[in-house]
Amino acid sequence: MDFLNTYLVLAEIYVLLALSTNLLVGIVGIFSVSQAAVFGVGAYIVAALLMGDLLPFVPAILVAAAGCVALNILVTLPSLRVAGDYFVVTSFGIQLLATAVFTNWTEGTGGANGLPGIPPPAILGFEFDSTGQFLLLSSVALAAGCLCFWLIMRAPFGRLLRAIREDEVAVAAAGKNVLRAKVGAAALAGALAGLAGGVYGTFLSFIDPSSFDLDASILMLTMVVVGGARTLTGSIIGPFLLLALPQLLTLVEIPSTIAAAMRQLIYGVLLIAFMLFRPQGLAGERL
Amino acid sequence: MTPYLEATGINKRFGGLQALRDCSFTVEQGCITCLVGPNGAGKTTIFNVVTGFFRPDTGSVTFRGKKLDGLRPQAIVEAGVARSFQNLRLFDDLTALDNVLVAVARQFAEEPLGAIFRPLRAAQEQRRATALALETLEHVGLADQARQTVRNLSYGERKLLTVARLLATGAELLLLDEPASGLSAGALDAIMALLRRLQSEGKTLLVVEHNTRVVQKIADQVLFLHQGHLMARGSPAEIISDPRLAEIYFGGAI
Repeated sequence: MDFLNTYLVLAEIYVLLALSTNLLVGIVGIFSVSQAAVFGVGAYIVAALLMGDLLPFVPAILVAAAGCVALNILVTLPSLRVAGDYFVVTSFGIQLLATAVFTNWTEGTGGANGLPGIPPPAILGFEFDSTGQFLLLSSVALAAGCLCFWLIMRAPFGRLLRAIREDEVAVAAAGKNVLRAKVGAAALAGALAGLAGGVYGTFLSFIDPSSFDLDASILMLTMVVVGGARTLTGSIIGPFLLLALPQLLTLVEIPSTIAAAMRQLIYGVLLIAFMLFRPQGLAGERL
Repeated sequence: MTPYLEATGINKRFGGLQALRDCSFTVEQGCITCLVGPNGAGKTTIFNVVTGFFRPDTGSVTFRGKKLDGLRPQAIVEAGVARSFQNLRLFDDLTALDNVLVAVARQFAEEPLGAIFRPLRAAQEQRRATALALETLEHVGLADQARQTVRNLSYGERKLLTVARLLATGAELLLLDEPASGLSAGALDAIMALLRRLQSEGKTLLVVEHNTRVVQKIADQVLFLHQGHLMARGSPAEIISDPRLAEIYFGGAI
């Protein structure tokens, strides 16, 4: 039971990350490969606030989300000047930079050893100790994230973002402020990643840089591609499916030494196969 | 009296190319003004300068006495001047309706906070904008294509859609870049009738056009541009009968 609940909690957290990635990459067309960095900052902020006994859980999450909003706007800003493909390189650099900071800033992040002993979240005196209780919390976070995504996509804002992906110049000629819309999307994507980070850190009670590296960013992209870009359904299917694969691998008799490599291999093959044969993913649109 | 749209002494240089050279002209309210001239004369550059996509090196543009040069495209559309593109620049993956909806002026919930925290107001806004966009589509004769994506529209329908998108901005001065090029005879008549109708409804049009037959039919005034400079202005008949201009337009260089 705990095994299943752990899977569900992690999948729900990754849905938030897939939504964040989908919003930027799928909908606005800002090809970010640094969403894991923002995710990590959210996790470290919540960890620091809780371990230092500075703030209770909910305010800590809000602070992390606000911090990630600011950070994501900052790292997305080059996309306003650097067009399309070139932004990938910029974003790649930002991700490497973040990993370097997570790994080397020992006082703040615990360095490569990570931060153990993050206290479990408590809301109004109720502690989310067991995985089952935590599932409740992550489900609320998931529902909030999905609701936000759904609401913006049916509002004029969502349509504006889709139009920006197709032709920024035409959007400007229609009298709309492209810059402000992109900042809005980056802010929302940052908030989602920050929320995911806070929930993730308190759930595992331990974080280290390996959860927030380039591989993690690519995993989020793979989830969006496999699930399907630009749809809410796609962002839900992707994480649940991709995180189920390693669990299924444990059922097959393979040595644990190659299990991790095997997982990466499968993710890579899936990404290539979907891009080639089903670019719209399982339930979405062509990226 | 201040002119409706006035450009004065515009110079614009791209590296070694002088695209606009001391270019001055005015456009009168309620008229259809056609901008003609050989390829490379600077017609589209004028559009880009007037609508804020290029900043002129020198010179000024005023609309109803308000200075436009230096403003961003968004502010210029809000001031009442909007442009279309020769290569259309439609949102190909969106429906005709959504293409027009994007351009509907001053919508609530065009940012995330309104969309998330005031969903009812956003939904209400969506209905208002949709009604307006459908009305605009009907106005240009595309009502029955509203739910089609741009990819499924014919070239003539796409051209009409660019006009609908312009109208949705609420602008009163419309700059149309070759609205009639590449159209079949039937589609050509439809777009000419539409431009005439827009004029009768109080819009002012500045139109880049190559087809002299179209110019003769729709223009009240013609501006002849050559090598980035306004060379002549007059009625269509005057411009077309001028042998010097015909030589430039159809014949050799200079």
